Amino acid sequence: MGNMSATLDEIWRGRIFYLFVLPFAALTIVFGVWPILLSIQVSFTASGTALRPTPTYVGLANYVSVFGDPIFLASLTRTLIYTTLSVGANLAFALGFAILLDSALIKRGNLFFRLAIFLPVVTPDVAGYVVWRWLYDRSFGALNAFLKMLGLPAFSGLSSADTAMISLLIAELWHHAGFYMIIFLANLAIRNRALEEAAHIDGATTWQRWRYVILPQLRPALVINTVYALIQFLKTFTVVVVMTKGGPNDQTNFVSYYAYQLFDQGRYGEATAMATILFGIVIVMSMSAYVIGERGANR
Amino acid sequence: MNDMRPNRLLQIAAYAVAGVTSALFLYPYWWMLVSALRPTRAIMGNPLRFFPERFDLAIFTEIGRIGGVELSVYAWNSVLITTLSTLLSVAVTALGAYALVRRPDLPGFRLLRYGFLVTIMYPYMLLVIPVYLVMFKLGLLGSYAGIILFLALGPIQFFLFEQFFRAIPGEVIEAALIDGASEAQVLFRIVLPMAAPITATVALITFLLNWSQWFPILVVSRTPDTYTLPVALLSMNSELGSNFQGIMALAVLTTLPVAVLFLMAQKRVMAGMASGAVKG
Repeated sequence: MGNMSATLDEIWRGRIFYLFVLPFAALTIVFGVWPILLSIQVSFTASGTALRPTPTYVGLANYVSVFGDPIFLASLTRTLIYTTLSVGANLAFALGFAILLDSALIKRGNLFFRLAIFLPVVTPDVAGYVVWRWLYDRSFGALNAFLKMLGLPAFSGLSSADTAMISLLIAELWHHAGFYMIIFLANLAIRNRALEEAAHIDGATTWQRWRYVILPQLRPALVINTVYALIQFLKTFTVVVVMTKGGPNDQTNFVSYYAYQLFDQGRYGEATAMATILFGIVIVMSMSAYVIGERGANR
Repeated sequence: MNDMRPNRLLQIAAYAVAGVTSALFLYPYWWMLVSALRPTRAIMGNPLRFFPERFDLAIFTEIGRIGGVELSVYAWNSVLITTLSTLLSVAVTALGAYALVRRPDLPGFRLLRYGFLVTIMYPYMLLVIPVYLVMFKLGLLGSYAGIILFLALGPIQFFLFEQFFRAIPGEVIEAALIDGASEAQVLFRIVLPMAAPITATVALITFLLNWSQWFPILVVSRTPDTYTLPVALLSMNSELGSNFQGIMALAVLTTLPVAVLFLMAQKRVMAGMASGAVKG
C-alpha cells in the first residue's frame, strides 16, 4: 500500500502536468488507442454481430478465412511488390535529385527546382491524382497526345492491367518524392565537408568520395526515408480510390482498399482482420528497417 | 579545391536534367489550369494546347452547385474545418508534448507516448473505419465537431514540438522555478513565448495537411453539407458522365489556396517538415 500512496502522491504533485496533457491524452485515446483496440476486438467477432452490444466471438475464424481468400493473398502480394518498387523508385529519385541540387553544378535557380519538386507534397492528394487520372486518359489526356505527336506508341495507362500499377507509381512519386528529397537535402547540408577535402587531398576519386565519405553520412536520412516510405506505400489508398477503384482486373486492389471494400459490404470481421494483419506488417517492416539501419551505424 | 570546380559541359547537363524534371513536375498544374478554362469538346480535340483559346471564367459559375450543395458551402467548410482543427491541434499538441517532455517519469506518461506512436503507425485509412464506430458511439457522426477533433492529432506536429521543448536548457526552467514561478507561469510566460516561431511553423504545416484531408471527412459526414473542397472534388470525379472542365475547375479551387500559402512561406514549411520528420 505504501507504494501505491507514493504513486498517488507523485501524481498529485505533478497534477499541473496531467492538466496540460489531458486534451492530448483524450484525443489520443478516443481517436487512436480506443478505435485500434475496437478494431482488433471486431476482428475476433462474427461480422453480422460485430456492431451489436454483445457480439459473437469466433476466435481466429476471420483470420483463417482471410488467409484462405485468394483475392486477399493476391492483394497482399501486389501490395508488397508495389511497396518495394515505390520505396526504391522514390528514394532513388529523391536521393539523385538531392545530390544534383546540393552539388556545385546548380547555383542559380536552385530554389526554383526545389519548389517545383516539393509543391506536389502540399498539393491536396485528391486534386493531384484527379489531374493525373485525366492526364492518362485516352481521349482527354495530354500524355497520349504527346506520345502521338512524337510518333511513339500509346501508353495504355489506367485502362490496361499491365500498366495500371506503374501509372499509380508515377503519380504517387510525383506526390511524395519531394518530401524524401528535402530530408536528403537537410542531411547533405549538415554533413562534414572537411572529411571530403581530406579524402580529396588523399587522392580519392569522385566516386570514392561519394561511396566511402558521403554516403555513410547519409545513413540517418536513408533510414528515416525508408521507414517513412514503407509506412506510406504499404497503406496506399487515396490514389486507388481516385484513379482505379482497384481495377483493372484487380491489378491495383491493394490491401487497404480491399479491406475498405469489405467493410463497405458489412464484412466487418474480415475487414478488421485485414487491418490488423497490415498493421502487423507495417510495424515489423518499419522496425526491421530501423534496427538494420541503427545496427549498421554502430558497426 | 580547384579541380572540384565543375566544368561547363557537366553544368549544362545538370541544368538540363533539373529543368526537364521540374517542367514535368509542374506541367500537371499548367494542364489543370488550362483545362479549367477550355470547353470539354475543345480539350478532346487538342489536349496539348498550351494556352486556352480565350480567357473565359464562366465555368466557375457553372459549377456553383455540386451534388445539390452550393460550391460556397464546400469552400466555407474547407476554411472552417481547416482553421479550427489547426488551432486545436497546435494548442493540444503544444501542451501535451510539453508535459511529456518535462515529466516523462510521471505515471502513465510513457504509456501515453507509446499509445500515440502506435496510433500513427496504424494504417491511417484503416483507422478511420473503427473511428467511425467510435464517432457513432459518441454521437458525433455528421458533426463538424467530430471532423475537427479527429483532424487535430498528427505525428509531425507532435515531433516538432517535442524536439523544440527537448532543446530548451533545463537551467532556464530551473532558474524560473527558483525565483518562485509556478509551473503554469513557466509554461505561459517563458516556454511558450520562446516557442512562438515553432508554433507558427506547426500551424502552417497543419493547415496545409488538413486542407488536403478527405477520407475522415467523407466517413464522418452524413450528408454532403459537411464536405470540404477535396471531398466534393472526389465525388464529382466519381460521377458518371463527368463534366471534365468542371472537375478541372474544382481541382484548381482546391489546389490554389494551399499552393499560394506554401509559396509565401516555403522556407518555413520545407525546413519544418524536414526537421519534424527527422525527429520521428
